Amino acid sequence: MMLTAALALALAAAPDTSHARPPDAAQDAPAVTVHRQPALPTVALRLSIQADDPPGYAGAGHLFQHLLLPTLEDQVARVGGRVQAIRGSDAIVYTVVGPASELDYLAGILRSTLRAPATPAPGMLAALGALSGERAAERETAPQYVRAALRARLFPADLPAAGTDEAAARLASAPLDEVWSEIYRPDRVSIVAVGDVQLDAVRRAFRSLPPPASRGPAFLPEDTVPSFEADTPQATRGWIGSAWAATDADPAALSVTARLLRSYLRRRMTRSSVDVEHWWTHHGQALALVVATPDSLVPAARRTVDGALTTLAGNVDADAVRDAAASVRRDLLFLSRSPERMAELIGEFADRGAGGDGVQQFYAELGEVTEDDVRRVLESLGAADPAKVYVPPQRIPAAQRR
Amino acid sequence: MTSLRIFRAAAGAALALVALAGPTWAQDRIFVRTEPGTPVVAVQVLVGVGSADEPEGQAGISYLAARAVTDPARGVLDSLGAHLDVDPQKDGVGFTLTAAPDAWAEATRVLMVALFRDPVDSAATVRQRSAIVRELGARESSPADALEREREKAVYGADHPWGRPAVGTPAAVGRIRVSQVDAFLRGQFTPERTVVAVVGPVSEDEVREVLAPHMPPGELRGDSVPPPAPAESAVHADYNSITTWVSATWRFGPDADVEALRMLAHLALDRVSFGPSRRSVYNSRAEVVQYAGGGEVRLTVVIPPREAEQWAGQLRQAVGDYADQALSPGVFNDRLRRYRGERLLELDLPEARAAQMARSALLGDRTATLVDFTRLTPQRLQDAAKGLEPPIVVFLGPGGDQGA
Repeated sequence: MMLTAALALALAAAPDTSHARPPDAAQDAPAVTVHRQPALPTVALRLSIQADDPPGYAGAGHLFQHLLLPTLEDQVARVGGRVQAIRGSDAIVYTVVGPASELDYLAGILRSTLRAPATPAPGMLAALGALSGERAAERETAPQYVRAALRARLFPADLPAAGTDEAAARLASAPLDEVWSEIYRPDRVSIVAVGDVQLDAVRRAFRSLPPPASRGPAFLPEDTVPSFEADTPQATRGWIGSAWAATDADPAALSVTARLLRSYLRRRMTRSSVDVEHWWTHHGQALALVVATPDSLVPAARRTVDGALTTLAGNVDADAVRDAAASVRRDLLFLSRSPERMAELIGEFADRGAGGDGVQQFYAELGEVTEDDVRRVLESLGAADPAKVYVPPQRIPAAQRR
Repeated sequence: MTSLRIFRAAAGAALALVALAGPTWAQDRIFVRTEPGTPVVAVQVLVGVGSADEPEGQAGISYLAARAVTDPARGVLDSLGAHLDVDPQKDGVGFTLTAAPDAWAEATRVLMVALFRDPVDSAATVRQRSAIVRELGARESSPADALEREREKAVYGADHPWGRPAVGTPAAVGRIRVSQVDAFLRGQFTPERTVVAVVGPVSEDEVREVLAPHMPPGELRGDSVPPPAPAESAVHADYNSITTWVSATWRFGPDADVEALRMLAHLALDRVSFGPSRRSVYNSRAEVVQYAGGGEVRLTVVIPPREAEQWAGQLRQAVGDYADQALSPGVFNDRLRRYRGERLLELDLPEARAAQMARSALLGDRTATLVDFTRLTPQRLQDAAKGLEPPIVVFLGPGGDQGA
């Protein structure tokens, strides 16, 4: 029984997690977090560069990822590993996973992503094409559109990962090493390792990072993001989005509130699909509610969404809060059951400035959320006007239905 | 020197894994792999009941019974945050339960009671029967499923229980009555035919305390399967599609070196997958499946119809070349380096490790070994390839044999 008690909260139990910027290291050494998981002789290595794209070059970080990914995939395949590249709101992220015995080789692949790209870059047209496709996809279909439009209202500085058409045109002819120099500095790099490896070995593997370039672009223009109002995304149901900024809210209480709201609305709106999400980046926090509902139910659904916070406040009790917190904690454990997902979770918290043990603290705090905490969150959310987005279902004109 | 060093590293890694993966033989058919640091507990309950146990005219009843008997428990499992998957296999039905450490014990009790103690729920059976019939109906239009049906028939024979889909057909499942499901569950779904593998941050004592009331001690019981009657020549099946699917299946016997065959399948797949010199390959797949008494190496490509016969030859060659000549040590070590990573990543989820352990245990591996690439050598690889039976080739596409 002791074993389970000690290990049940693998995320909360700190002994297997070490993180350090070594005292004798140069100022430009990366922060390293290691979570030991000796279950398999594998390791997931996550490298993140905490940076926004330079002004006027929105999408630059993700463009570099598209340029590098084919080469990275070939290199990682030699040891039977996997690689992924993610451009989040907080960081440019590369993750490799493979045998722990290949730690140095895999680390070398990740370090190579920090070197300034050449101009002209091989594969530039294909990478720009991929970015263009991602930009279009964000505005074409309702699920992505609703979230992107809400995010743009709440966090206007959080530009789309795929950038803008204007910025893409600039990037096509820009000196890429100069753009890169605005993004990369060794002190912005964080490393998370999860698997059968030791902290010292990971630190050694990342002891030397490429130096930053000295010169950035001579002129940094402003980004212009096209308005979402002009778009007509595809939808077969009515899509209703509401999001409340909650930058000062306690993150654990906000997560539990989101779970409570989701459970409550799913019970009430059985013919609709309901998602309630806790958004959390260095730009701030928000609670976002996205509902898709059949055409005939749209008016009732809009009323339910508008009154959601108030009605939830009238239905919160201690048992429900405890169950919701347990549900969020279990989801965290389930999500992190492979080394690369665990690395992603630890890294996301670190990239928001919470440090290498941020996820562990968050996990512990979830267990302490009370009914009063949730009520405080609901009151603060209710005090502000939410951002709202509505996408009507497309109707086929009667004459075309035959 | 480099390749030698890599090989030693590979051997070291594998040894560590095997050492970790060695639960002692359990008379109660319970296997535990304690993994500190793994955030969830994965439980694999593998009931050794499949097509060969199904009465005449009730093809697919194993899967229907498995879905019906777990249906009423899903609400409770959801409330515990547990995830349950039911996986039909030829010789068994796998129940994969993944739960947080504070919920796994309760979730496992709920599953075991549902499997071995609860009476069948008629409403749940009718609901699941309708759902399966709908799902199978939708799958009938999938060329991948059509190929699988033709392949099973070709490899085992149309009259063999394994020559038909383990999940049954829409017509056969639609005819199964609730009383038949009830009788099948009582007679076949028993603890004596079941192995359980548990992986995660739990101790062996703790697992046994949870499972002991449901798993009385005793040797694993199972029935034998009649010998197959494979097709004597290539099978050409007509299918309305714009691509042709070509599958080659090599059977192997009970003494085969399965880990070497897995590596062989990985290497063969590399030789027939899309690449600069193989631009016409739309998709490719390799797998090794093991049953009591042997198993199969399967290699499949999806290609343009006119190239079908050529690709059948390439599939044969992709495996046959490894039987003809052993790889040089340098090349072998390079390939092993890659295979080792791919094989380890196949097991990177705790439920994958639990499933692998349970399958090994069902096949009589008393240590429920996860992987065994410790001593793989060029010679082992060649010997494994040589030990395969001649391939059974199935073409599926427009005109059946149009591409030939």
